[in-house]
Amino acid sequence: MLRELKDKEYIPPKNMLKLFIKGGFALSKVLIKNMGQLKKARKERIEYIPLKRNYELPEYKPGMKVVKSNEKYLRPTLYCNPYAKEIVALANHLGAFEKDPYEYARDAFEFVKRNLILQIMPLDGVVPTLKRGYGTCLHKISLFIALCRAAGLKARYKLYAIAMIQQWYETFVEIDPLMREWYDAMGYFMLHGEGEVYIDGKWIVADVGPTPERQAATGIPITKFGEDSIGIWFQAIPGSIMRVESLPLGLGMASKLLMEKISPASVAKMNNNILRQVEKGRKILQEIGEEEYNRRVRKGYKMPTIELERKSIIFE
Amino acid sequence: MIEFKEYIENLNKRLHNYIPDPATFTPGEEGVFKPLDVYNHPKKEADEYKFKAIKYAFKHHYENNSFYKKYCKENNVTPDDIKSIDDFNKIPLIPDKFFKTYPSGKEFAMWLATIYTGELPNIVIKKSDDHDDIINKFNDAGLVISYSSGTSGRHTFIPRDKRTFNDTEYAIAKAAITMVYPFWEYDSYGYLLMPNPFKTNVFAGKVCSVYFDAVKDVQVALDRELKADLIRAAMKNNLKGRIIRYAMQRENKKMIERIINWLRENYKKKNKISFLGAPFILYFVMEELERNGESFDFGENGAVITGGGWKIFEGQRIPVDEFRKKVEKILGIPPENCLDLYGMVEGNGWMVHCPEGHYLHIPSTYYHAMVIDENGEEVAYGEKGRFAFLDGLAMSYPSFIISGDEVRMYEECPVCHRTSPVLEPEVSRAKGDEMRGCAEEMRRVLSMDLGGKDA
Repeated sequence: MLRELKDKEYIPPKNMLKLFIKGGFALSKVLIKNMGQLKKARKERIEYIPLKRNYELPEYKPGMKVVKSNEKYLRPTLYCNPYAKEIVALANHLGAFEKDPYEYARDAFEFVKRNLILQIMPLDGVVPTLKRGYGTCLHKISLFIALCRAAGLKARYKLYAIAMIQQWYETFVEIDPLMREWYDAMGYFMLHGEGEVYIDGKWIVADVGPTPERQAATGIPITKFGEDSIGIWFQAIPGSIMRVESLPLGLGMASKLLMEKISPASVAKMNNNILRQVEKGRKILQEIGEEEYNRRVRKGYKMPTIELERKSIIFE
Repeated sequence: MIEFKEYIENLNKRLHNYIPDPATFTPGEEGVFKPLDVYNHPKKEADEYKFKAIKYAFKHHYENNSFYKKYCKENNVTPDDIKSIDDFNKIPLIPDKFFKTYPSGKEFAMWLATIYTGELPNIVIKKSDDHDDIINKFNDAGLVISYSSGTSGRHTFIPRDKRTFNDTEYAIAKAAITMVYPFWEYDSYGYLLMPNPFKTNVFAGKVCSVYFDAVKDVQVALDRELKADLIRAAMKNNLKGRIIRYAMQRENKKMIERIINWLRENYKKKNKISFLGAPFILYFVMEELERNGESFDFGENGAVITGGGWKIFEGQRIPVDEFRKKVEKILGIPPENCLDLYGMVEGNGWMVHCPEGHYLHIPSTYYHAMVIDENGEEVAYGEKGRFAFLDGLAMSYPSFIISGDEVRMYEECPVCHRTSPVLEPEVSRAKGDEMRGCAEEMRRVLSMDLGGKDA
């Protein structure tokens, strides 16, 4: 049992554990020090209506093809069941087993990136995510991975901590004093990620998290299939990048506790801000068109990426 | 009046320890040490100095810094593409935020090593070392790692080698002393409105150690050890931060009193005095003097060089000209001797007000300034955009930077005759970029409102 948990990477790797412990410790300190404010925040009622799903779910038909394998990166993992009927139906609808792997993975990427809206909420499986039409970046990555695995393409998570960019700071942190204090205590955004799919001997990155509208609203390029957000519009905290087969155990419960019990009003505020951002981005893209927007924004500068070197440093 | 040539020669004699053997000058150093006036050098010659300096620096970092080389390759640029100053806009710029994205723990040491250009001596890092311990170990090995402005909770760390650091210290001294000509003489008294350079790794404090060599007697406003962790803690709005700020606030009134006593003593002795540093400290000194109905008339015997931002209270900036009027009214120092200096930890170029028009002059012999729009393209003179620069002096890290500061640049100063381009007298932060500036950092650490608005 423990071996299987380890093998599927349900037990978080060391650097993820470090991130969670640091994050949890910082959050506990913030909450203990701000009990009054927390009480107030918990009583606060913020009106929040999520967007309706903007796509139809394809019908599942018996006999639809799906790859069932126990191989690493192909098998089901936590919150990511590629055998679910809804996933199989969508995979077939998107052209699994008909298109070449790259083309199919790109179309799965486009579907997830463009159709599912970012909303902050506790982690759950790929089927409810698909039915709802929204979720966090982790929900969206899981859905992309499930679509790839259903089509027999190995896929995994690339997770990391990021140094917050100003536009994200305004959306997620600035709006709420507790969030602000938590972020200030940490100095970085705890967990963000992308998907990766294995095609022709290479892992190809898929930045499915932000929709084109959100990227337009924050003035950053609309990332394409195979294009990493890291280095284009933000930096991962060096040393924090983890490539894993599964999301870890405990993350779902922690997210539920944090988002539903501790401060639901903060979450509602963030989600309302995201919806406003989506609307703003939609207007920008309607006005100048996606191609022109992307052309303009890509003329700007990029961030360099670094791979840490040890040079002549000796660690005792 | 002393000739300008003799004036700068006196400075060079005084700062000879900062000047490397001329036979070993890099092109960037030639641009700093050889011209008498880096703000008023014949344009053609200044451009020659500048081209050589920046081309050399670019080639050096391309060849000796793996992350920057990779970045250049991604941008399809090599040193061969830089054939004239017109090609400078091809040199890939690094956003200043990049230097804030460092990891913690032992990876922080590796990050410093990676952004450092060239080889490092052996440095031993222990598991328990914090940021300051790691910095001190690098510094013990002959480097000068300094940092600045962590108003959002993250500092900017820059690795300089000793030689680059000496160069920038000389450059800042020459910049200020050039612009206050003929005010400077060694036999005078100074007050540094910054942390003690010998007790901190904060760049704005550390770079001022040259003040102690340029002026006979220097006092320090903030004479306590100031570590990165303390600054970070002091800026947070948590219990620890509040305790630190409360403790510091108790000291502030004593500091104001010390500065006032120093003014009284030097005024009585008719000494020549200068202030260098964060304007808000001097502002509160003047407020206190005004409350006491006290003023001085230092006249040409006094000078004030400010730097680091103009925030006085949380949410309130003092206009620069209003500050100068206050300096004239309370200290009797004329506006021509009250200049502001603009620079940043990522670079080694120092922009200083000219006394005639208070425009920020850009050194033109080793440093190339640009103003960039949101698409990363250079805008025309007079248009607003982000300040960016190519620095030919930095040998230990690629100092080709796009900042978060919003400026307007003019080809010539609208008021004075100097040949260098200028920035408008005040620099602000571009929308969406965090507040920064060493003065703002100090103000927050000191919780320095005294009036209580921010306490």
